[in-house]
Amino acid sequence: MVGAHELNHHEAESDERLAFGFWVYLMTDLLMFAVLFAVYAVLHGNTVGGESGRELFSLPLALTETIILLTSSFTVGIGMIAARQGKKSQVLLWFGITFVLGLAFLGLELREFYTLIQDGHTMQSNAFLSSFFVLLGSHAIHIIVGLMWVATILFYIKKRGLNSHMVRKLTLLSLFWHFLDIVWIFIFTLVYLGAFV
Amino acid sequence: MTNRSAKPNEEQGSIKSYVIGFILSLLFTLIPYYLVTNQTVAGNQLLITIVIFAMVQMVIQVTFFLHLGRGPKPRWNLFFFLATAGLVALVVSGSIIIINNLHYNMSPSDKVAKIANDENIYQIGGQETGACRELLVNHKVTISNGLVNPSYTSANKCDTLTLINEDSDTREISFGEHDHHGVYAGVTEVEIKPGRSETITLSETGAFEFHDHLQHETAGQFTVVE
Repeated sequence: MVGAHELNHHEAESDERLAFGFWVYLMTDLLMFAVLFAVYAVLHGNTVGGESGRELFSLPLALTETIILLTSSFTVGIGMIAARQGKKSQVLLWFGITFVLGLAFLGLELREFYTLIQDGHTMQSNAFLSSFFVLLGSHAIHIIVGLMWVATILFYIKKRGLNSHMVRKLTLLSLFWHFLDIVWIFIFTLVYLGAFV
Repeated sequence: MTNRSAKPNEEQGSIKSYVIGFILSLLFTLIPYYLVTNQTVAGNQLLITIVIFAMVQMVIQVTFFLHLGRGPKPRWNLFFFLATAGLVALVVSGSIIIINNLHYNMSPSDKVAKIANDENIYQIGGQETGACRELLVNHKVTISNGLVNPSYTSANKCDTLTLINEDSDTREISFGEHDHHGVYAGVTEVEIKPGRSETITLSETGAFEFHDHLQHETAGQFTVVE
């Protein structure tokens, strides 16, 4: 009994260390985004006579994307509670919803990119669009990675069941997803809302 | 174990905390959206307001979704987060201040005129820069033994003037009178190494004089007419 208790204790400690390690990665990622935000803040006026964000962006679309991502962040949280209680079907449900919402978000974002590029507003057009595509593209790549991560974990949970190993992975995934949501809040505020100030 | 499973919500969050976080986040998204679409306040005030809303929303999500600061002590996650937040503030605000300053200081009109002249950009954004579209006749002036030959050159606008330094000293050719230097077509000074030559485009009309700043008896004149 003492042995089992100690084992649990060690496991909890190593879990904490793992989460902290992942947290350190997230913070370095945050620094990268900070630099991209600074670049955008500096360059967003350099349109070389081209159209500015005010003419190119749609606020209702940006709001829709924000609410979708925010909801997906919420479902991740609910899914994590289910995961800690060992409710496999609930985990599959909530993380499944997260996956669908994430996919919807990505679809809207890629469609926006596609429309911009079709209208001749590409990365090469001016410094404003270069920094815009780099900032939002980096976020989109993170979302794609997150979606692949969700899909992989759900596949293994379905196949092998919900064990402590999977819960640990879900914990890191939830940190990652909440982090992406927070970064998006600043994209929504500074890039989209900021263009209309 | 019993202790841990009895209160899992303390550090890992309950449904309640996620619901509160979600509702608050929605509110803090919709309010700035409303402010911007209605333009109730405007300009910098609006920008500062929406940035504050974003900051508060970040704190909400960090608290209710990430449960930062609710784990066991010492709270390394929180410390690391705050340190990173400080770095982010430094990087972002520093970049904005420095680059805005550069932006402000880097585009005085004489610099623009010089670049336009050097690169033969005859118009920028539909406005004539005074630079030449194409270059016409080249005039040569030789400086040897401190003497400028010919000492007077008459040229048309958009001709070029080549100054050849045959002496063993580097020449620093300035325009206008000695110690009261002027600018010719955006050029303040032409440095010519021994045995080398430099060419300037005569895009500004009028009568001008030039001299070696280091040896001001080495001087010449030129006029440029339309």
